[in-house]
Amino acid sequence: MPIKEVQTTCSYCGAGCQILFKVDPDQNKILEAVPAQGRTNEGTLCLKGHYGWDYINDPQILTKRLKKPMIRQGGKGAPLVEVSWDEAVNHVASRLSEIKAKHGPDAIMCTGSARGAGNEANYIMQKFARATIGTNNVDHCARI
Amino acid sequence: MSNGVHEIEDAKLLLVFGYNGADSHPIVARRIVRAKRKGAQIICVDPRRIETARIADLHLQLKNGSNLALVNSLAHVIIEEGLTDNAFIAERSHGFDELKELVKKYSPEAVADITQIHPDDIRKAARLYATSGQSMILYGMGVCQFAQAVNVVKGLANLAIMTGNFGRWGVGIGPVRGQNNVQGACDMGALPNSYPGYQNVTIPEVQAKFEKAWGVPLSNKVGVPLTHVPRYVLHEPEDKKIRAYYVFGEDPAQSDPDLNEVRESLEKLEFLVVQDIYMTRTSQYADVILPATGWNEHDGVFTCCDRGFQRIRKVINPPPDADVLTDWDIISRISTAMGYPMKYKNTEEIWNELIDLCPNFTGATYEKMEKYVNVQWPCRSKDLADKGTSFLHKDGHFANPDGKAKFSAVDWLPPTEKENQEFPLIFSTNREVGHYSARSMTGNCRLLRNLEDEPGWIQMNPALCQELGVKEGELVKVVSKRGHCVTRCLPTERVKKQAVYMTYQWWIGACNELTIAALDPISNTPEYKYCACRVEKIKNQVWAEKYVLEEYAKIRAAMGVNPKGGQTA
Repeated sequence: MPIKEVQTTCSYCGAGCQILFKVDPDQNKILEAVPAQGRTNEGTLCLKGHYGWDYINDPQILTKRLKKPMIRQGGKGAPLVEVSWDEAVNHVASRLSEIKAKHGPDAIMCTGSARGAGNEANYIMQKFARATIGTNNVDHCARI
Repeated sequence: MSNGVHEIEDAKLLLVFGYNGADSHPIVARRIVRAKRKGAQIICVDPRRIETARIADLHLQLKNGSNLALVNSLAHVIIEEGLTDNAFIAERSHGFDELKELVKKYSPEAVADITQIHPDDIRKAARLYATSGQSMILYGMGVCQFAQAVNVVKGLANLAIMTGNFGRWGVGIGPVRGQNNVQGACDMGALPNSYPGYQNVTIPEVQAKFEKAWGVPLSNKVGVPLTHVPRYVLHEPEDKKIRAYYVFGEDPAQSDPDLNEVRESLEKLEFLVVQDIYMTRTSQYADVILPATGWNEHDGVFTCCDRGFQRIRKVINPPPDADVLTDWDIISRISTAMGYPMKYKNTEEIWNELIDLCPNFTGATYEKMEKYVNVQWPCRSKDLADKGTSFLHKDGHFANPDGKAKFSAVDWLPPTEKENQEFPLIFSTNREVGHYSARSMTGNCRLLRNLEDEPGWIQMNPALCQELGVKEGELVKVVSKRGHCVTRCLPTERVKKQAVYMTYQWWIGACNELTIAALDPISNTPEYKYCACRVEKIKNQVWAEKYVLEEYAKIRAAMGVNPKGGQTA
């Protein structure tokens, strides 16, 4: 297949630079990141924009990519065990429901994320805190 | 930001206050350089000789923690010398007389000791700012990360109001926001006091609107700010305690102040969920880990620092062995399992739901972002002719109920923890140009890792290094009342002898072992820019080098990292 080009917004800092990625769709691999024409960056990028994307390939230079849901099945201090999504989702739902039933919705705190997740995921998280759990205990790292 | 980044280069004067663009936003910083080339004058206010200071017409190298004393003094001079825009003050503001009275005592001579700035330089700066005709203020964490922060922002706004530098092209005040989507997370209501679109949770009509849209009763009680979580876990009475914490794309065990206390609170939680793309310091405390797609693996919208909505697009699929879901899908599944069904086909469906609930975002459709790339809110109409808003407060109309700007009259307060005999130096944190946040992304990028790695550096004036007998590259121990860490000495003339500086992403050189959780009472932002510390020489450098390597290996092993690299390395 020919090289695919996708334009997106850089995930480092609030400048909001536009980047064009060149991708090999057969190998599912990014080949290159080049600056695109954004209102702020006008065809330029900084070093993070140029070189800050190979983490996605999980090179384990610093840490490792999370690839499976995990639960500490033996409780605090026990090792994390890989589980299915259904098991992880049901476990979180039942533990949060228990804590809410016993101590009220304000005993639960949620965060948004100012990083790569995007606005829609933040909207869903605050809706989850407010509508599902019933608390305004939701905040993110704007403060720090 | 009240004005767009693209307007910076058209200002005739830039007052760059506690903002180091060259390190934190290189692409914004180039607009400062361009403004200079176009003839703008630049005043740099910073305790360090940062890059902006090198091209500035005037560098006010103030003492750390004296911001409001200086800002009030600038107001003093502008008023005393009759440089105010009296028509703008009379017609578009209120509260000026109170400020005028308060700043009488802030003459440049009266604040010379506190700020360590010569009175003539304060006068010169005030005149330049007030008389350029088109002055813009840019500020950053050097304003916000103090226990007195919001009132400094208001003090800077005072300067813009009294000189009529609002509501036009190339003026205003610009907090240049740090993380890529910190503006977006705020826009979306990931805040304890507001629904999406800055609609306050305590206003009954707003509550009724969201109750109708979401079909459930909602709470009107303002929630807990992030920086209060350790207190709510450890110290509040039983009936007020926080017991469960769902951390999504953040790493408090690295990024929050006073890490000892943060770790204690994470350990005490009954239930900790971490949703992320990488193992982090925080995920080591998690009861459940939920793996999500990364930035290049999903669709969505970010908001950049000047209110611009822009699309992010899926570039590649997650690795074949990664059983990961998008963040919104994970949360929707948990919500559904808890009895509140959330079903969305894609991000556009979510986006369409939320923009219709937020009058200032209603017009910013995916269609417009495709067409115009960047749509700055307010954008109220879905009509393609509404392309958004570059600058706020046009014609002096402000967001207050009466449409007028409000002056703020507040006295300067000294920082919380002052230098003393045991801890004689000022400790401040700052940014690393090649790394981002807690570095779970940039630390895994080969080239960026090769630029800088553990245990980071402490910036020290050469005279201080000489006094302590430490040389460039030598490992030193940095100690505060709360903790200590090991890092490398970096002698630099950029900093004064009284203060030392560290960046915040290192595990071994973890500056937040030292920082203080003193918070601004309004923003609840910690005083990352000021606490007391001392630097100690380590005699046995061989031992110290070994310690750094061993600690690094230990942390990585605890995270289950393969020392030979991952599948595609």
